[in-house]
Amino acid sequence: MNGPLFRHTWRSQRLKLAVVSIALVVWGFLMPVVYAQFGSQFKTLMESGILPEQFARFGNGDVFSLPGSIALGFVHPIAIILTSVFAVGFSTSAVAGERQRGTLEVALARPISRPTLYLTLLVASFAFVAATIAALLAGSVTGSLFAGVIGELAVGSVPLLWLNGVLLFGSFAAIGLAASVSFDRFTPALGLTIGTVVVAYFLEILGSLWPDAEFLQPYSLFHYLKPKAVLTGAAAPFDFAILAVVIVVGMGWALAVFPRRDLAAPS
Amino acid sequence: MHAIKTVALTKHYGHHGLPVHLPFLGPAPQPIRALESLDIAVREGEIFGFLGPNGAGKSTTIRLLLGYLHPTAGEGRVLGLDSVRDSVAIRRRIGYLPGGIALYDSLTGERLLDYLAELSGRPPSRRAELCERLELSARTLGRLVRDYSRGMRQKIGIVQALQHEPELAILDEPTEGLDPLMQRAFYEILDKLKAEGRTIFFSSHVLSEVERVCDRVAIIRQGRLVALEEMAKLLARRKRNVEMRLEGSPPRLEGVTGVSGVVIADGRVTCRVEGDVRPFLAAISGAPIVDLTIEPAHLEEAFLEFYEEADPA
Repeated sequence: MNGPLFRHTWRSQRLKLAVVSIALVVWGFLMPVVYAQFGSQFKTLMESGILPEQFARFGNGDVFSLPGSIALGFVHPIAIILTSVFAVGFSTSAVAGERQRGTLEVALARPISRPTLYLTLLVASFAFVAATIAALLAGSVTGSLFAGVIGELAVGSVPLLWLNGVLLFGSFAAIGLAASVSFDRFTPALGLTIGTVVVAYFLEILGSLWPDAEFLQPYSLFHYLKPKAVLTGAAAPFDFAILAVVIVVGMGWALAVFPRRDLAAPS
Repeated sequence: MHAIKTVALTKHYGHHGLPVHLPFLGPAPQPIRALESLDIAVREGEIFGFLGPNGAGKSTTIRLLLGYLHPTAGEGRVLGLDSVRDSVAIRRRIGYLPGGIALYDSLTGERLLDYLAELSGRPPSRRAELCERLELSARTLGRLVRDYSRGMRQKIGIVQALQHEPELAILDEPTEGLDPLMQRAFYEILDKLKAEGRTIFFSSHVLSEVERVCDRVAIIRQGRLVALEEMAKLLARRKRNVEMRLEGSPPRLEGVTGVSGVVIADGRVTCRVEGDVRPFLAAISGAPIVDLTIEPAHLEEAFLEFYEEADPA
């Protein structure tokens, strides 16, 4: 890991990180409040049979329990888009974007090996993801306190949920960075990574809403994010392991490809 | 030991820009022969000019030496180190100015130079002197890079390449965007570096500046080395342009050793003289010359001759 590169990366992203973190705190805050205010009404609505029961299983989240509402906040597109600003946006531009702009040339003229450069940017990606997930959970805990439902939350499970979230979005970051070191231009890396996230999300949501498509869910990385299970003490180590394996595979690809590839002059 | 030595250094491109060939992207393009079996040796302490038009293979050679590219064949050694295996160790000891340098626009000039010095791991002990010579004031360095003109960016590029006192400076078209005054200041910087015994590898297609600063020059064309000569020898080989105005019959110059391109019209004689001038002077002695101009041809002409000689067509 290279200290000056890490500090430079952190400084260049700190304003964006602050904005995204504040947005995630607000979003995380809303979920327990919505649950406290409208949870029982939603439950009555669902039990009336007006809405299909699959709506209560959207991404394994619901608004009838505090863990369910926090889970819903995690898998909601708003949270995913905000977290992806770093998990996808930063990771894909970290190398390919700098290459396209020509600034990687200047950095690599210094005594930094390509594996060191990659690992520093990977650590930065994980740090950003860790901070954004922490912001989301901080908002949820604060919202639970504010709404007076903190007693329903197993606060001791929150760090494990943070780890589950970091591993999921960290796996997207590892895929994004692997794509970033493989392409000369930013857009193919971004397209590939966004495509991965969108397809994974689609498979998970489709499987959660349509029983006939449930078999697709294990092919989605989102399937291994289990906020409700973690908060109710039913976390499965297998889910964490799968996400960790994806990260390791992404790292393996990047460390195999990046040092061996040619970096032609930026066009 | 040579500062730079390449042995049969070769680079062919031929892919879609991906690390592996993907069949669905269509057939692999024909390989581009960017560099063919390049053999050069740059001595320590010299200013070595690397000349060629755009696309000749100058930047490819530099990128191979710095480890950005992997050679298809052959090897490159910089400061005695292998360009592939020891590229990090090489970059610890050199300064590099890329052609058309891109900088971090969101930083101030000073912050950018600090950051690049930190990455180099060596103190920027020469920065103040370089900034003074290139007229980069503290006020200018306090401005964001995005507000800099092209010339100011190039000055920052020169400072970042030399501020940590590298043993070897590799400069890819360093005077691009500099005005004539700053070009002169830059040449003075090079003179000083040379006096200190540092080596400079200098790529350019501006022949006048190569003529001004370099000890030796390599000329490259279509990825092949066309010539490698001492600058003094190259200049000595170049022809002189001669113009005479006469009042009477012109001297007989046909067949005189070293004289070519004789044109006689309207009381004027023009020709070119190469090598020893004594046969030419003997031939014109006694001629009714009222005015005589002998002008050394610019390096451009010597350079073009090399190209004409090496042109396979």
